[in-house]
This record gives sequence, structure tokens and C-alpha cells, in this order.
Amino acid sequence: MSYTELNMDLTREQKTMKEETHRFSKEVLRPASLELDKLHDPEDVIKSPLFWDTMKKGYELGYHTVFIPDTWGGLGLDPLEVHIVLEELGWGSADFAIGLGVACFPAFFASMVPNERLIEDIIKPFGRNTDASIIGCWGITEPEHGTDTLVPGTPEFSDPKIRGQVSARLDGDEWVIEGQKSAWVSNGTISTHSLVYLNIDPSMGMKGGGICIVPHNLPGVRKGRPLDKMGQRALNQGEIFFDKVRVPKDYMLVDQESYEAMLDVTLATANAGMGAIFTGVARAAYEEALNYSKTRIQGGKPLFEHQLIKHKLFNMFMKVEAARALSRSAIVYNLNNTPPLTRYSIASKVFCTNTAFEVASDAVQIFGGIGVSKEYPVEKFFRDARAAMIEDGANDSLMITGAHSL
Amino acid sequence: MAVFESTEKMYEVLGSLFKKLMADPEMGVKYRESKIIICFNITEPAGQIWLTDQGEVICGKADLKATIEMDLSGDSCHLFWLKELSLPIALAKRKIKARGPMPKVLKLLPMLKPAYEAYPEIAKAHGILKG
Repeated sequence: MSYTELNMDLTREQKTMKEETHRFSKEVLRPASLELDKLHDPEDVIKSPLFWDTMKKGYELGYHTVFIPDTWGGLGLDPLEVHIVLEELGWGSADFAIGLGVACFPAFFASMVPNERLIEDIIKPFGRNTDASIIGCWGITEPEHGTDTLVPGTPEFSDPKIRGQVSARLDGDEWVIEGQKSAWVSNGTISTHSLVYLNIDPSMGMKGGGICIVPHNLPGVRKGRPLDKMGQRALNQGEIFFDKVRVPKDYMLVDQESYEAMLDVTLATANAGMGAIFTGVARAAYEEALNYSKTRIQGGKPLFEHQLIKHKLFNMFMKVEAARALSRSAIVYNLNNTPPLTRYSIASKVFCTNTAFEVASDAVQIFGGIGVSKEYPVEKFFRDARAAMIEDGANDSLMITGAHSL
Repeated sequence: MAVFESTEKMYEVLGSLFKKLMADPEMGVKYRESKIIICFNITEPAGQIWLTDQGEVICGKADLKATIEMDLSGDSCHLFWLKELSLPIALAKRKIKARGPMPKVLKLLPMLKPAYEAYPEIAKAHGILKG
């Protein structure tokens, strides 16, 4: 761990938490994600015992519950601790950090509106789970909708011409869910439960939405193949189909009356989390480049002794520190304030994923020819970071949403 | 017209509610164990209600550091405890603003059950709910 902690108020417990998470990330997540990255078929990733052993180790240590209160068996972390843990997990593997982070979405959102049934069926079992047999996903992205679903507070959000492709209709004591979520649902094909963002009242456009938990063992749920993609290959992503799935009424957490506000909370939380994770990726790339530059001899001296390389490394160092400062502030503010100031989470996500991409690109450049080979992890960081500039909202479009509230 | 005609009336009604919550054999203990201090900053009528980590209910200003602060109106308080205003809707309509670590706010929610159960009777007894 090569960065100086500028927060002088961290408690001994928080320092220990950081060290323990870093150790787990270094010894378990990083090696597993590099190994799984080599598999050609993403189907093989989720068949691999290594994938499941890694997920189980994450669950045993409670990293799937970073957002869950300790009342329900979660880690009960305060917002600063959430950032510390996510950065360290991201340092080891963006793939697993995202997979573990999103696994809690159904239980996390259920804990915001905890009725008896949700507590017994969803929240408690997830908090107690230590073998990765309960995995959640965030079912929002659709074949015809991506970042345009993430525009709460804009005029487009209320345009009746723009509406989601998964619909819900109340029939007695059950909701009937129909439609498809697209291949970019993280944990999509391995998940046991979806937190589905769907359409209840099409006349309201995207604003007429709802948020519903759908257990995947219900009749009518079907999953596609895992997505074959350029980065984050150990993060399972894939389609989910809902064919007239009948869900208990209590599982609809939010309806059209408060959908926009809860989407705002979702976006603020998810984007803040991405900012923390990709601060970790940027730091990982910077550290690899720094270490390599001190051992690789070129022109008769270590790369580090060349002025241009030093300059580049210091630029990378500044970017990583700036990413941490912004992403920590955003997560601490927005997990401490409801309603959140979502533009700060968006700024964090956009800045930190862009930073991870730029720093990883510089790291590949410093490594030279070997940087584009599989011998070192920097090319993986580069691919992982590139994917993140689209994931959880394309950065360009997110910036327009953020700008709307300036 | 506001549900609570005066700050004193609000303290009387909500004070009784929170004292009942703190005296609940299960939830009162759980609340104290959580070591959370809550401050409700209420408008219309203006007032403050504190629930301390010792299980005390203080109506009025207190020299304490709140773990969680909730800003809301007296009417929103009334509707919230009647379960006529859910948390997501309150947040959607900006009727409640919360400051404090989200996991601690979420941790509180299941502890509120006795208060939901008790409030209609308390409100009736104080003449602010008919029926």
C-alpha cells in the first residue's frame, strides 16, 4: 500500500479495516481476476471454481454487505468506511468490486422500506448469507435504453414518448412483470434476485416507474448468455427476461409517486461507489508503473531517472490523489444526506473513471511494448477503466444530467 | 391549518409518542444499544425533539451532537407516524431531509414499529385525530 493517508482522523479500526481489505484484495481478488481474465468464453468464468471461491471469500468477509446496516447482518460501515473499502476492492479488481457491491442492491433498497415480508424474505437472508448463494443485481439497463434511464430531474424524464421496456401491472395481490433487461446487467446471469426498475404508468414517461424485487426462481424469469466484453471480464453481465412474472405486491418497493426520487438516490449511491472503485483502479495502475519505472533500465538508467517519465508519474500521482479527494467527499456527503446532491456523485464517477483510463493509459505507455502484453496487469486496468466510462451511465450523458442541476 | 396548534401541543403529543417508544421493552433497548442520537428539527410549529443515546426524550434545544438530524414539518411528522407518508414519498417530495450516515438511518427504521402502532391512539387522545 503505497499512498499516504491524508485523513489524520482515521481511527485505529478504520486503519485496520483498510489494511485487511487491501490484503484480501491483493491476495485474493487481484490474482483471481487476472486468471479469470484469460478465459476466452465468459461462460467459462462463471463455471470456474476460482470465480465461486473468490465470491465466497468475499461473502465470508461481508464485502457483499458494505451498504447494509449491521441490524440486518451487514458491515454497517459509515460513509467514509464505505469509500475506504470500495477503493481497496477496486485496487485489486474492479470486476469483483462491482460484482460484490451490486449484489446487495435488492436487500439494500428493501432495507429503506422494510416491511415484515421483505425483512424475512429478502433482507435477513442476504445479510446472513456467506456462501454467495444469494446474489442481487441492478436491473435497469434495457435494449433500447441505457443512460437515458438515468436522467431524474430533467424534462426528458417526464416525456411520455420515452418509456421503459419492462412493465408492471397490478393484478390482485401480485404485480405482473413483463419485458427484458439488456446484457449489461451486472451479475445478470448469476443473480438470484433482481432489483428491477420498470414502468408502471407509461403516460408519465420514465417518471412513471417503479422499483421491484424479483426473485429469479419465479416462473417466467429467464436469463441470457454472459456478455463477452473487453474489460472487467470477471464481472458477470447478461440479459434477464421477464415473461408475465407474478411478484408479491409487497416486493414493489417504490411506485411512480416516488420513483424519480429513489432513482436519484440510486444514481447518487451507484455513481459515488464507482468513483471510489475507480480511484482504486487508477491507483493500481499508477503503482504498477511507478514500481516498474524504478527497476526497468533504459538508456543506461532506470526509467524513473528519465525526466519525462518522472513528469508523467507525478501527473499520474496528482490525478489519483484528486480522484480520491473528490470521490471521498462525494460519497461522504451523499451517504450522509438525503436527498443527495447527485451532481457530486456524477462528478466523482466521471472524473474517477476518466482518471483511471488516463492513468492506466499512461502506465501502459511507461511499460512500453510489454505494457500491451498480458505479462503485466496494466493492460487489464486499461480495459477495465475503458468499460467504466460507459458503465453505470455513459460519462458524456451523465455530465449533461449533472449539469442540469447546476 | 397546521395539525399541531402550538409547539407545546406538538411536544405533548410527540413527546408521549417517543417516551412510549423508548419504554418499549424490545425497541427501547435496541435503540439505546444503537448509540444513536436523533434530533428532529421541526417547522410549523417550530421546535426540536431529541432522542438521546440514553433513551431520554428532550423536547426543546439540547447541547448534544446529533448522529442523525431530520428536518420536517409538524404535519409531515403527523402523517409519517400515521403511516400516511412513506419515507420514499417524503423524500421524493422533499418533505423530509435527513443528515447522518445512511446505514444508521436505515438501522432506525425497523425500530419505529411500536411508534407506528401507538401513534393513532396517542393522536386521538390528544384530539388531533378523529375516529
